[in-house]
Amino acid sequence: MTTDESETRRRSARPRTRRRFLTAAGTAGAVALAGCSAERTDGGDGGDGSGSDGDGNDTSDGNDTDDGDGGDGETPTLTVATYTNFIDAPSVSPGEWLKGEFESRYDAELEWATPDNEVNYYVERAASGAGIDADLYVGLTTEDLVRVDERLDGDLFTEAGDVDGRDAVKEGLRFDPFDRAVPFDTGYISLVYDSTTAEAPETFDGLLDDEHAGALITQNPGGSSTGRAFLLHTVSRFGDGGVASDGDGEAVEGEDGDPDYDYLDYWADLEENDVRVLGTWDDAYAAWSEGEAPMVVSYSTDQVFADMEDQDLEKHQIRFLNDQAYANPEGMAVFAEADEPDLARQFMSFMLEPDVQGEIAQRNVAFPATDGAELPSDYAELAQEPTDPVTFTYDQLQGSVDAWVEAWERQFAGN
Amino acid sequence: MTRLRAGVESHALTALAVLTSAALVVAFYYPTATVLIEAVVVDGAVTLSVFADILTDPFYFGELARLLSGESPVAVARSLASPDRRLGIVGFTAYQAVLSTLASVALGLPAAYLLARFEFPGRRTLRSLTIVPFVLPSIMVAVGFVATFGQNGTLNAALGALGLPPVDLMFTLEAVVIAHAFYNAPLVARVTTAAWESVDASAVETARSLGAGPMRAFVDVVAPQVYPAMLTGAALTFVFTFGTFPIVLALGGFQLATVEVFVYRLVRDLSYAEAAALAIVELAISLGVLLAYLRYEARNSTSTRGARPLPRRSLVPSTPSLRELLPRAGLAAYVAVAGLVFLAPIASMILASVTGGDGALTLDHYRFLVERQQTGAAFQVRPWPAIRNSLAFATAATLLALPMGVVVAVLTTRRYRGRTLVDAAAMAPLAVSGIIVGLGLLRGLVFGVEVAGWRIAASGAVAIVVAHAVSGYPFVVRTVSPGLSGLDRSLVESARALGASRARVIRDVELPLVWPAVVAGAAFAFAISIGEFTSTVVLATGADAYTMPVAIERFIGRRLGPATAMGVVLLVVTGLSFVVIERLGGEHRGL
Repeated sequence: MTTDESETRRRSARPRTRRRFLTAAGTAGAVALAGCSAERTDGGDGGDGSGSDGDGNDTSDGNDTDDGDGGDGETPTLTVATYTNFIDAPSVSPGEWLKGEFESRYDAELEWATPDNEVNYYVERAASGAGIDADLYVGLTTEDLVRVDERLDGDLFTEAGDVDGRDAVKEGLRFDPFDRAVPFDTGYISLVYDSTTAEAPETFDGLLDDEHAGALITQNPGGSSTGRAFLLHTVSRFGDGGVASDGDGEAVEGEDGDPDYDYLDYWADLEENDVRVLGTWDDAYAAWSEGEAPMVVSYSTDQVFADMEDQDLEKHQIRFLNDQAYANPEGMAVFAEADEPDLARQFMSFMLEPDVQGEIAQRNVAFPATDGAELPSDYAELAQEPTDPVTFTYDQLQGSVDAWVEAWERQFAGN
Repeated sequence: MTRLRAGVESHALTALAVLTSAALVVAFYYPTATVLIEAVVVDGAVTLSVFADILTDPFYFGELARLLSGESPVAVARSLASPDRRLGIVGFTAYQAVLSTLASVALGLPAAYLLARFEFPGRRTLRSLTIVPFVLPSIMVAVGFVATFGQNGTLNAALGALGLPPVDLMFTLEAVVIAHAFYNAPLVARVTTAAWESVDASAVETARSLGAGPMRAFVDVVAPQVYPAMLTGAALTFVFTFGTFPIVLALGGFQLATVEVFVYRLVRDLSYAEAAALAIVELAISLGVLLAYLRYEARNSTSTRGARPLPRRSLVPSTPSLRELLPRAGLAAYVAVAGLVFLAPIASMILASVTGGDGALTLDHYRFLVERQQTGAAFQVRPWPAIRNSLAFATAATLLALPMGVVVAVLTTRRYRGRTLVDAAAMAPLAVSGIIVGLGLLRGLVFGVEVAGWRIAASGAVAIVVAHAVSGYPFVVRTVSPGLSGLDRSLVESARALGASRARVIRDVELPLVWPAVVAGAAFAFAISIGEFTSTVVLATGADAYTMPVAIERFIGRRLGPATAMGVVLLVVTGLSFVVIERLGGEHRGL
């Protein structure tokens, strides 16, 4: 419920002068108070089911829409939190289709919530005792879970439990050892290159050749998920040289079989060869599109978009270095404080149905998480999968990933 | 009625000061404090260890850290003298900010000279538009810059046509510095122009009649009034470029990472203690620069009665003498450089918005905007509401920032003990990391505070307006304050002696005398609001409070067309707004 306090606080009664700036200040002051909302909290636990200002509610005039408390005879509302691109992108996004389809199959209303800080927003909400205000999160990565578990003492998410169709999820994608997150799609981070200007090397070592000097653009591992995936891929390839071992005693051994050459050595060589590490994926892809370099770190589904936009596929070739790509499976999990936990699990089952899996893959331009998803027969022609996907498990990332990124930062930006 | 009016008037200043303080506390101090406190309170215990770690870390402070960690000054001095000395991230950030400030002043001053001293068709419109670069989202600027200065860019095409070898500016410190100048030279130009236009012609005429040559008159009369304004622009530019973040990585690369890059990463990884400590280091340095400048300003305010601006000269020389031709030749050279730095990137943006994937001209990207407007889902960002919200928020924020700024300017032009503290408090919104403020707003306003079993929260349009006003009002202070403090006190005293209230004197005597500065401040407040992103996305908890920069960010994809089309919409809308602001503000009210 909302209280409009401007009644009691409007002390600056409109002075009848033509003094524009004073009048403006008076009204602004009064209006400023009208945007407040006050609601009862129950025992500091929050989350009493009445809408507060945390999600897709219109609060511009201080009127909260009712979240629907799923009472008898009412259509329950399921609030699904996710990242923005999942529901709103300039090309395609699955959000609208999923909402329509879910509402037609179940007696429920689906409401999307896309806070700018994504999962961190809910970590903040939990930490400040403001209530969670959503039923499940769609788009969790392994790293998100590691970070959330490290940061919060309590449980933000609860076990998936009884979700129909979970058995169909591919074994290699199940990334949560505590069975909270259920994968619904996956992507692969690889090189995308313009074959009309240069041919990409076959291996990581090939990137160090003189002919590829200044030829690769990647992203900041500290601020971009593709950049981080590429960094993790190099850790997996060359080992971490014990950078994070003070935490858990184990050094990651690289596949290259050389214990004296780790990922930091490889990056030193890459830097020597003029690799460009820009900020976000947007920065990198824009610079690559303008022809600043022939290769960029991006997604292996690049040709799907290129085909949509009738672009020359020769300019959008995929290269899996050492036949590998780093897999980033995305999962969904129910919030421990969900108002509609059962409906949330129904939604998870819905997300895993073969036809929905196919739609998600196409509309999110990714790959299904389950066996038996219904995809058009030519989907694999444009959306390429590596023969040997690489990914770190939850246990491997825990206590390590921050140290890996930080060690890389300190080497790469040492001024 | 008259008595009521007099009563209101006599207390208006106090009431406004109270309101201003309240807005600052609610939308800035309290929220920011909730984050910054984490630097010193870790797991419930007060500690300075986080700071100690940062201050003694060569990665952040270079050779200085060794000094702070107790190494012998001699050894450190020796390292400093050696060619491979380490600046550290903080040192490097300051270094690039100094370079960026120099470049911004170098590119901003000639523009101020042109706009303040010459008359030509379209001058006022051009003056209004100078501030446009200031509001562009960094991704747009990055796109424009790659298209201009990249390997296949406009500059290299031009050089090639002249038979010169290509230059590759991309991913260098130079590119970052030029981009910072793109953003901040307009600021320097705008502030300096306002000061130059306030120079009283009679003072120059007096100097000339007493036998001073034009050069001497300029150095003794005009320069002392223009110089502080230029320094204002320089100080603000330093603070902005010291806290720079996305543009550095977009055009430079991670080798050129600034402090803010690390603050952002630490916040993203939820390492709040270190993030807050770094942000406090940033704040201390930025505020230090601002306060040093303010001390200078206080000591060097020149008295003026600001009555009659200098007459402007025609761009066409009256006589073909060297004295007439030389400045104009210099300006011609400047216009060529400005064309490359300011116009070429903007032209590239506009071109990108009408270029399809195959390189042919097309209106598809604008069609996308229309389509998104018509068929976008309720939870998707649509162009028209974004335009509407941007304009509404910016107008409201400006109307709020103006009285706030004027009040603080009045309060800080008096001499009293502790003024430095008030100055610092008033300027703090400029100097705090935007990411930290955003996080604070989330905690302080969106989640709210629990008081006696009630949770008081505020978000949505009103919160956005207040947050924008808090970000913009320091510009009003900085543009208005020098003029106010330079006013002849006898004017104010006579008006007071004749029975006018303090508020009335401000309105009827002081503000009209510094009116160009008020209009410049309003334009800045408007620009800050239009371009603001971080606080907006945090506070726009509904699906309906997004602005143009948010829409641009949402429309970025593999093809930049839709986003650049929205960027052009932003260009046009803000350009028109600035022209309207200047027209509303009038050229020189009553002068």
